[in-house]
Amino acid sequence: MKRMLLLGLLLVAIASVGGCQTKDDTYHTGPIDNDPSARTDVKLVLNWFPEAEHGGFYAAQLNGYFAEEGLNVEIIPGGPGSPVIQQVARGSIEFGVATADQIPLGRAQGANVVATMAAIDQSPRCFLVHKESGIESLEGLKNVTLAMNSGRAFSEYLKKHVPLENVRIVPYDGSIAAFLRDKNFAQQGYEFSEPFLAKQQGANVKVLPIRAIGYNPYASLLFTSDKLKNDQPELVAKMTRACRKGWQAYLDDPQETNKHLQSLNPELTPGVLEFGVKAIVPLTTVKEGNFGQMQLDRWKTLVEQLVEVGLIEKDAVKPEDCFFEAS
Amino acid sequence: MKEDRFSWKTIVLPLLVLVLTIALWQAIIVVSGLEPYILPGPWDVGKTMWLRLDAFLLYTLRTGMVAVSGFLISVVLGVSVSLLFSQSSIVRQSGYPFAIFFQTVPIVAVAPLVIAIFGYGVLSVIVVTTMISLFPIITATTTGLITVDQGLLDLFRVNKATRWQILWKLQFPGAIRYLLTGMKTSAGLAVVGAIVGEYFAGLSSGHQGLGYFILESKNQINTTSLFAGTIFCTLLGVVVFATISLLGRLLLSRWTGEG
Repeated sequence: MKRMLLLGLLLVAIASVGGCQTKDDTYHTGPIDNDPSARTDVKLVLNWFPEAEHGGFYAAQLNGYFAEEGLNVEIIPGGPGSPVIQQVARGSIEFGVATADQIPLGRAQGANVVATMAAIDQSPRCFLVHKESGIESLEGLKNVTLAMNSGRAFSEYLKKHVPLENVRIVPYDGSIAAFLRDKNFAQQGYEFSEPFLAKQQGANVKVLPIRAIGYNPYASLLFTSDKLKNDQPELVAKMTRACRKGWQAYLDDPQETNKHLQSLNPELTPGVLEFGVKAIVPLTTVKEGNFGQMQLDRWKTLVEQLVEVGLIEKDAVKPEDCFFEAS
Repeated sequence: MKEDRFSWKTIVLPLLVLVLTIALWQAIIVVSGLEPYILPGPWDVGKTMWLRLDAFLLYTLRTGMVAVSGFLISVVLGVSVSLLFSQSSIVRQSGYPFAIFFQTVPIVAVAPLVIAIFGYGVLSVIVVTTMISLFPIITATTTGLITVDQGLLDLFRVNKATRWQILWKLQFPGAIRYLLTGMKTSAGLAVVGAIVGEYFAGLSSGHQGLGYFILESKNQINTTSLFAGTIFCTLLGVVVFATISLLGRLLLSRWTGEG
C-alpha cells in the first residue's frame, strides 16, 4: 500500500511539472486600432527594478506607442537574481531587457536569445574612486579596496587588462556605504546612478568608465528568443519599433515617465532620475539617425572579449546570431 | 521517544532516497522537456562536480571552516545567554524579544555595519554566520533549562541544594537534549549563514568559498555549475549535521547515561 502511495505521489509530481509545459504559443495578432481586446498580449521583463535605464520602455507604454502597433504590453520589473535570459529563451516571456554580454553568455548555455535594439549605445558601466585617491584612470587603479561583482564579464575583463597592483577585491553589496567611509575605496557602478548618489552624500567622485579600456557592450537592449524571431517576425518588428519610439520620446522629455517610474519604485528620488536621463543621453545615438541600431563589429569584439576572459568557449557563439535588425 | 540507533539503515535508507531523487530528477527532465539552462541533468552536474573536484573541495573546506567557527561561537554565546535567562524570569522576559532580532535580521541591512566594524573577510563572514545560527540555540536551551520536573526540583530543595547545584546537576543535564535539537537546526543555518555572509563580506580574490562560486555561476548563467555548487553546500550541511549528531551521542552518554 505504501509503495503504491509513493508511486502515485511520484506520478503526480511528474505530471504536474509536465503539465506546466503545455502553453499556447499562438498569438492572435489584432488589427492596428484602439480596441484593446483585439491587441496582442506580450510581456516584457526588465533586468532590474524600474529605473532610468528602463525609461524608454515605460515611455512607450505611457505614450501609447505599444497600442499604436496593436500590442498590449505588460512590463514586469526584475530584481536581483531574476532569470531574465532564461525566461525569454524558453518563451514563458516574449521580450526582455539586458546588457549585451548576457546574450552570448546565454547562447553559450543553449538559451538562444537575440537582441533587436540597443537603447544605450555606449556602456554606462564604470568604476567610482575618490578624487583624493589621485587615481586618474583605470590603469592607475592601485592601492585600493575594490568592490565589484567578481565573475561578471566586465570585472573579469578589468582583472585581465589592468594590473590592479595592491588592489583588494571584495564583494559588491549594491550600496555605496563602504565607499563613502573610505577614501581608498573603489567600486563598480553605472554612470547614471551611483556617481550622483555619492556626490549627494558629499563625496568627491571620479568616474572611470570601463569603455576607456575597450570593454563596451550595449546596454538597455531589447531582446527576444530565436524562436519568436523566426515564428513571429512581424510581432518582433512591432515591439522593436514601439520601444525605439518610446526611448526617443523619453530621452527628449522624460518628466512624465520619471513620475511614473517613481510611483513604481518609490526608492528613486526625482533627482537621481533627472540626473540619470541627462547622463544617458550622451551614451546614446539619439541625436543621430540610426538610434537603437547595432553594429556587427561591436558584437564580434564582445564575443572575442568573452572568449578571452574565459567565460565562453571559442566558436561557441557566432556574433551574427546575437542580434538582428527587426525593422 | 528515543533517537534512532545507528545501524545499516542510517546509511542505506538515505542512499535509496538519493537514487530515487536522481531518478525523479532525470524523469522530470525527460517528461517536462525543461531546458538545461533551467534544470541541468544529473549526469552533467555530476560531470562538472567530478571535473572540478579539487576546486570544489577547497571552496567547501573554506566555507565549512567559517560555518563551523560561526556555529561554535553560536553555541557558546547561545548557551551563556540561556543560562542567564534560566536564572530569572525577569531577565528572560526582558531579553527574549531582543533574541528574536537575530532570527529576523535581514543580513543585507546589517552587512555594511558588520563590514564597517570587522572589515571585509573571514571575520565578518563568521559574524554573519553567528547572527543567523544563534537563535535556535537560545530558544531550545532556554526551554530545556526551565522545563524541570517539579518533583525533582522539590527533592533538590528539600535537600537544601544550592542554586548552583540545581543548575549544574538538574537543569543542565535536562537541557542537553534540547540543546542538541537546537544545535541540529543551527548547524544547517550556519552553512546558510556562511554562504550568505560570503555574498556580502567575503574576500573574493583568491580566498573564495562556495558562496562566491554560486554567485559567480549565477552571474554567468551557468546553471550546471550552480547546481554542482548547491550540491556541495548540501554535502557540507550533511557533514556538519552528522558530526553534531555523533558529538551529541557522546555528550548524552556523559551527562545522562543514555546514548
